[in-house]
Amino acid sequence: MDKQNNKKPVGRREFLRWAGKAGISIAAASTVSYLLYDATGPQPHRPADDLVTLPDFSVKQQPGRTMSIVKGSDRVKTVDKAIELLGGIERFVKPGETVAIKPNVAFASPPMLGATANPQLVAEVVRLCYGRARAKKVIVTDNPINDPASCFTLSGIGKAAEANGAKVILPKPHLFKHTTLKGGRLIKDWPVFYEPLAKADKLIGIAPVKDHHRSGASMSMKNWYGLLGGRRNIFHQDINTIIAELAMMVKPALVILDGTEVMITNGPTGGSASDLRRTNTLIASTDMVAADCCGCGLLNLRVSDLPYLAKAASAGAGTTDYESLKPKFATIS
Amino acid sequence: MDSAPKRAKRLESAISFCLLAVLFLIAVGLFLKQSDSDMGRFGIYTAVPGLSSQKSEGNGPETTLGTLAPTGFEPLSEPQAYTEENLYEKINGKAPLYIESGFRKLFTQRFVSKDDQNLWMELFLFDMGTAKNAFSVYSVQRRPDAAPMSSVEDRKGGQTMQFAYKTTNALYFAIDKYYVELVGSAESQELLEAMLAIAGKIPAQLAAKDTEIAELRLFPQENIVPDSFKLHSAGVFGFEGLTDTFTARYTFDGSSLTAFLSRRQNAQDAQLVAESYYKFLINNGGVDKPLINKNIEAKVVEFYGTTEIVFTTGPFLAGIHEAQNQQTAEKLAEMLINKLKEVAN
Repeated sequence: MDKQNNKKPVGRREFLRWAGKAGISIAAASTVSYLLYDATGPQPHRPADDLVTLPDFSVKQQPGRTMSIVKGSDRVKTVDKAIELLGGIERFVKPGETVAIKPNVAFASPPMLGATANPQLVAEVVRLCYGRARAKKVIVTDNPINDPASCFTLSGIGKAAEANGAKVILPKPHLFKHTTLKGGRLIKDWPVFYEPLAKADKLIGIAPVKDHHRSGASMSMKNWYGLLGGRRNIFHQDINTIIAELAMMVKPALVILDGTEVMITNGPTGGSASDLRRTNTLIASTDMVAADCCGCGLLNLRVSDLPYLAKAASAGAGTTDYESLKPKFATIS
Repeated sequence: MDSAPKRAKRLESAISFCLLAVLFLIAVGLFLKQSDSDMGRFGIYTAVPGLSSQKSEGNGPETTLGTLAPTGFEPLSEPQAYTEENLYEKINGKAPLYIESGFRKLFTQRFVSKDDQNLWMELFLFDMGTAKNAFSVYSVQRRPDAAPMSSVEDRKGGQTMQFAYKTTNALYFAIDKYYVELVGSAESQELLEAMLAIAGKIPAQLAAKDTEIAELRLFPQENIVPDSFKLHSAGVFGFEGLTDTFTARYTFDGSSLTAFLSRRQNAQDAQLVAESYYKFLINNGGVDKPLINKNIEAKVVEFYGTTEIVFTTGPFLAGIHEAQNQQTAEKLAEMLINKLKEVAN
């Protein structure tokens, strides 16, 4: 105690020296922290040269030949007629070209549930490409939600495509490249199923009309979700924006929207035959926004019920006023 | 004599070493976390771009699902298990419906006919944590025109299930904390028989107790549409504040209307939510209307050509939704109030 009491008191000079050292230490730590602080979080640091852009597969517009709506129960006949009304498959596919067909093969579910594109429809489009259009090669591809091999097998699409000479390409890591959508908010440095499309001259989308728990409806624009890789489910938080951005990113030659039987409820997976309703309508269009606006009526939805339609239209992907395109109608008895 | 300063010095040194050790551990933790960060969430440098994974942990009921194969069928693929993290890989856009209702795990197993490879089915076993959660996802997805799965031939030796129905290609039921779907690849009697056989075995296999949802007895039985009960977990009628709400449909003189009720924490909470819901209706274009039936106390709102009623009885928030006629709506409201009072008494 005595020693402590006898301890030499701190002098003013010594106190200032200590305070100065402490101040310098705090200032140095603060400066280093400030310099190292990353206010924006992780950012894409891929060189711009490594990013890819999907090719533009669109064909020249022909007034009055943008959209066709064919009524009938036989998909083979209705799709033949729908494409014929737009100028025939020769308008979309030239001899010697490679065609990529992107059906909705999202789930490993049987064709009768309507959760995936109809295999007969896919088969007929493959036949048209090889037959009348004399394509060199047709590939059928998708990056499904469930196990890809099971999806292509159990949906019947793999067998239908291969039986008609198409090559089925399943997703593999090396087939993905990163892309950034110009003007996009969500698709930034994101992996897309690029390689099969890079080798194609034309792209045709085939999608069923389905109810969708998150987005309201899954049709031709939502079908492009199957081109995304990575943990794409995070986009479900902003489903309307991602669908609109997909419509901006993908420029197909033609989309075929199958409303022969629509999944009216419990989508997108369905599960029961009673989830389907026969509406006997098939839509072909070079304007996928217009096709989806027409398709939503088959689900008893209005265009305003699906915000992504207006978003895609305002982004320049198409028109919500599909009737202004003067679609061609036909009925197959 | 100098022991006190020495002790202080040793203490200071010990504290300093402790602080340095803590800082070191924090640095190690940061380093490990950073090297393990999931850049896929940002779409940046995913380890395997484009391909997601399906996880089967192999420690749940899926380990025995293969043994459920009925006569003439065999497992088509390995059983799979899904958690909240990867549920979307199986059911995509429908995942939020389950997750918002308390989803724990999904186990799946496919079976195929030994004689016909085109005849196959898939068993979906959702562990929803509680019987109420299981009933919720069962009820909101119930196909309205489906046949109940209650006849003797449907039981196949298993126990009766209160919440079960079948369609031409599938069976659906809720039992205990499980919601189960058996989905066939075709509309086939052989498949349906096989699915019924599996359904009969499941309660015993899972040691599941039959589901009892007490709230369903609170609805008046007169004029009720059979099997129309639903339990909505959130955002009921578009109002975020209305959660865990049961609904039932009724028909009076050919017109349809819905009764709803939600048991809140206490009477005060029920009143607060009821008031908020009333304001929500008014703020969205509803018009307050006077009661015709003076026997009840409730708020009545005309909402774009339909009548909405909301009231509370003790801890219950209840009301009528989308009635075509105010008198009918008030009649059903009175029936519901009387039923709730019976319980309260």
